[in-house]
Amino acid sequence: MPGVARVAPGVAVSVRDLWFSYRDAAPILRGVTFDARAGEMTVILGESGGGKTTLLRILKGLVMPLRGEIEILSSPLKRGLMGRLDPRVAYIPQQLGLIRSQSVVTNVLTGALARTGTLRSLLGLMPVEHTEEAEAILHMLGIGEKAALPVQTLSGGERQRVAIARSLMQHPTVILADEFVSQLDIVTSREIMSLARDVADRGVALVMTTHELDLAREFADRVIVLRDGAVALDSPAREVDEAALVKAIRG
Amino acid sequence: MNLRPSTVRPGKMAMLGVSGVLLAVLWHLGLADGPLLARGARNIGIFAQDLVPPDASVLPTVAGAMVETVEIAFAGTMLGFVGALPLALAANDTVSGRTAAGAVRMFLALVRTIPALLWAIVFVVAVGLGAGAGVLGLAMYSMGYMGKMFADAFDDIDPEVVEAVRGVGVGRLQLARFAILPETANAVLAQTLFVFEYNVRASSILGFVGAGGIGFYLLGYVQSLQYDALMMAILVTFAAVVVIDQASMRIRRRFLSVASHTATRS
Repeated sequence: MPGVARVAPGVAVSVRDLWFSYRDAAPILRGVTFDARAGEMTVILGESGGGKTTLLRILKGLVMPLRGEIEILSSPLKRGLMGRLDPRVAYIPQQLGLIRSQSVVTNVLTGALARTGTLRSLLGLMPVEHTEEAEAILHMLGIGEKAALPVQTLSGGERQRVAIARSLMQHPTVILADEFVSQLDIVTSREIMSLARDVADRGVALVMTTHELDLAREFADRVIVLRDGAVALDSPAREVDEAALVKAIRG
Repeated sequence: MNLRPSTVRPGKMAMLGVSGVLLAVLWHLGLADGPLLARGARNIGIFAQDLVPPDASVLPTVAGAMVETVEIAFAGTMLGFVGALPLALAANDTVSGRTAAGAVRMFLALVRTIPALLWAIVFVVAVGLGAGAGVLGLAMYSMGYMGKMFADAFDDIDPEVVEAVRGVGVGRLQLARFAILPETANAVLAQTLFVFEYNVRASSILGFVGAGGIGFYLLGYVQSLQYDALMMAILVTFAAVVVIDQASMRIRRRFLSVASHTATRS
């Protein structure tokens, strides 16, 4: 599978005692601790305002935690020169963050920018092997023939695939996806979830938040429930029934 | 909307208050003077009679000067654009950090405080009389103005686009090139056209201070009481401004149909 570096199974992301709050407000995260494994789909559930999005943004390095530790493959989250973020962690925001006026392949190629030289990329001289890789990934995700189209002409499910393709161009250890299928109809949701399942199966640690309990139980390896900023449940998906999930979410 | 009497009354009060202030200010400025106004009206009548018919013999001269005016506006806008784009990026918090961005914003505000005409005087002193001073003066003001407009457009980008591209692990210049500029390209183009329209009007008075264009003739005809020639120059200016405004507005609308609302903010 193009775009995915094979990773030995094991802990890819380790989160220890993560705390976060905005200034003097009540903490949004209170000592969150969990592991996400390579090759597994970890789904984070919880009511809106429970800290799910904040958690992902901290894992991406967009927000600094009050305290706590995050390790990616046993090394701390990198913060590069001039605030460059760690390319091992790919991030798909809720609205996907695609550049709508640009073509699909241009959007996907931005995923490789961290490994394209700055000057080279500013001049628009993308390496041929990057373009080939981007096209191969789009093909694998079933939208190879849309490569030249502007993103704004695509359907919701197709845009989701573009976002996945961009994150795969990063050769990520982890993919963080916020409210991953919340904007899609149920049929497309299932398609995208099984695609995500394939991506995880090849060795990426996939961490996503969602409200869809059924999809979570069907596709996830592990479910984590965040309630009031703390982990209320952390269990293999097949060992937990819906009643237990609802109880953990509602409290 | 439910307009209750209590919300109308303060409005009327405010209107009365403003009218009172206006009368007081007019009196203070010496405009509440009956004989003066009567004399003014008579003079306008005489002036209006001298305006017509427009003097067709000066048409080649003023038309040539109008072409120079449009050239000054074009060159000033383009040079201003070249300065404004990098400065606007430098004024973006994400690209250059909060402290540096604040300093650049301050610099842009300072440049903008000085009107184009004053900048033109500065450059007449620096490089001498002529269109060159006009181009440079207009470029300075346009740089400050467009720099501010572009910076606002950059600030208004969907934050998720910036975060998603930052998340890839890009550098700041890459972020500008691959997220900020493509997201705002339409708005930036539309705003540049808008500033060009504005500059055609602004550059028609640059000649007042010897900085080239039709303003030189406008002022000259006024001072030598050649009101029929002045009328010709005004007609030519009016025609050029209308044609350029219309053409530019059409092009801008095509960009705006896909650009964000920020493009029309000024």
